[in-house]
Amino acid sequence: MVRFENVGMRYGAGPEVLRDVTFVLESGSFTFLTGLSGAGKTTLLKLISVAEPPSRGLITLFGHDLATAKRSTLPGLRRRIGVVFQDFRLLDHLSAFDNVALPLRIAGRKESEYARDVEELLVWVGLGDRMNAIPPTLSGGEQQRVAIARAVVAKPDLLVADEPTGNVDPEIGARLIRLFAELNRLGTTVLIATHDRALVESTRAREMRLVDGRLVELRMSRP
Amino acid sequence: MKNRRIMPNSKGAAPLDVVIAVMAFLAALALGASLIAQHAADSWSAGLSGKITVQILPASTGAARDGLAAETEAALAVLRGTPGIVRATPLTEAEQLKLVQPWLGAEALVAELPLPQLIDADIAPGSVLDMDALARHLKSAAPHAVLDDHSHWINRLRDLAQTLVWSAYGVLFLIAVATASIVAFATRAGLDAHNDMVSLLHQMGAQAGFIARVFEGHYFRAALTAAGAGAATAAAIFLAAGGLQSVGYEAVPFLPPLSVKPIELLWMLAVPAAASLIALVTARVSVLAALRQIH
Ligand SMILES: Nc1ncnc2c1ncn2[C@@H]1O[C@H](COP(=O)(O)OP(=O)(O)O)[C@@H](O)[C@H]1O
Ligand SMILES: [Mg+2]
Repeated sequence: MVRFENVGMRYGAGPEVLRDVTFVLESGSFTFLTGLSGAGKTTLLKLISVAEPPSRGLITLFGHDLATAKRSTLPGLRRRIGVVFQDFRLLDHLSAFDNVALPLRIAGRKESEYARDVEELLVWVGLGDRMNAIPPTLSGGEQQRVAIARAVVAKPDLLVADEPTGNVDPEIGARLIRLFAELNRLGTTVLIATHDRALVESTRAREMRLVDGRLVELRMSRP
Repeated sequence: MKNRRIMPNSKGAAPLDVVIAVMAFLAALALGASLIAQHAADSWSAGLSGKITVQILPASTGAARDGLAAETEAALAVLRGTPGIVRATPLTEAEQLKLVQPWLGAEALVAELPLPQLIDADIAPGSVLDMDALARHLKSAAPHAVLDDHSHWINRLRDLAQTLVWSAYGVLFLIAVATASIVAFATRAGLDAHNDMVSLLHQMGAQAGFIARVFEGHYFRAALTAAGAGAATAAAIFLAAGGLQSVGYEAVPFLPPLSVKPIELLWMLAVPAAASLIALVTARVSVLAALRQIH
């Protein structure tokens, strides 16, 4: 599903943020990406989600070599990925409902088809009564749940989440992880970047750790 | 529930709206001017001066007066025998003297001058005369006859009107180019202002066409509204001018009516249509060009 081979990344002429990163995410796997703040977690997620090209190395996504893939295939690849951004990136002038529905609109679906799904999902993340609120009127935790709902609503093949439980209390955090696990059970490959040890310890999932721009395999997922 | 627009509405009239409204107003004025000038050119080129004049020049020597009278009779016969000419009358001596009076004065001396005899003739409305043939016939009947169908003046007026028409088209073209440039500029500014939204849509896998539609729809609607207001204002002015003329205010007495027929005001609809189309296409082209710069 995702294969990195000797991937290196630097911003402009800056130092290498990622060095010789090599790993594989099997289809249907659930993985945590950990590391101290500034270790390069967000950068790695950007490379996976085709937001930035790597400085060197090979990235294969859904069987496509990103270096040689035609430009016109990239939007299609991006649509198969749900991203929860660390800073949410919600559109402030759209309601929670419309923010969550955005990936479906991009996929060309009609509102009459998806309205129920979007509403159910918003209820599931505890925002059933905040559907028509715009993000500036939502708390940080509520915004984060909108961002998560938006990332999962199109049932992506791959979900990458950047610190998705950073702003919510543990109870909601556990609920969100259950949402990811449910999605994973339905076949979505999940990669979650976090520095929340308790979250990682609460599951038996595989953990990859970034140290100094290099990837250290800490724990293979156990059955 | 219907799909909400992804692009936020700007509050109040943006500078772009004002510029487009003014541009549309000017374009509608130019369009109206071209219609008026076209009317003038059409009526003049139809040869509808409706009048011709024949001069019988006095022979320089001999029994001038007798020859003149005989040739005048002959020329009148030719004119009256020509189909399409409804009236031909020689000017009386008094009328002729009145014509030259501003130049030569009313002195007795003038009576001694060998003045040409003038014949005034009216052409039936709508009929077209072969002026060359008429001139030949006149020449053979009255060797000193000179035909003047005023075509020299008419042609110059018609050329002037035609030039006005083309100038108006030129102005319309310039306004279209300026509008396109303004929208291109505004679109780029809009892309910058909504950079977060654009990169988010791009990250979510939106095709360039999807993002372009978000923007072009926005500028299409803005241009349609603003240009509609501008063109409506111009149309109202033309209507008011037409109204004044119909109650007796004539702009210039000898010119064709300087107004647009109410039915022709439908042409003004072309202004918002063209403006919104220009805005749509320009926005689309600018957005697609800008998106090619993103990964
Ligand atoms: N857009 C950028 N331009 C330059 N440097 C960046 C950029 N984004 C991140 N960095 C740098 O890359 C390093 C890794 O950042 P990041 O991937 O955000 O780490 P993490 O998500 O683990 O906190 C940091 O030193 C950060 O300053
Ligand atoms: Mg980060």
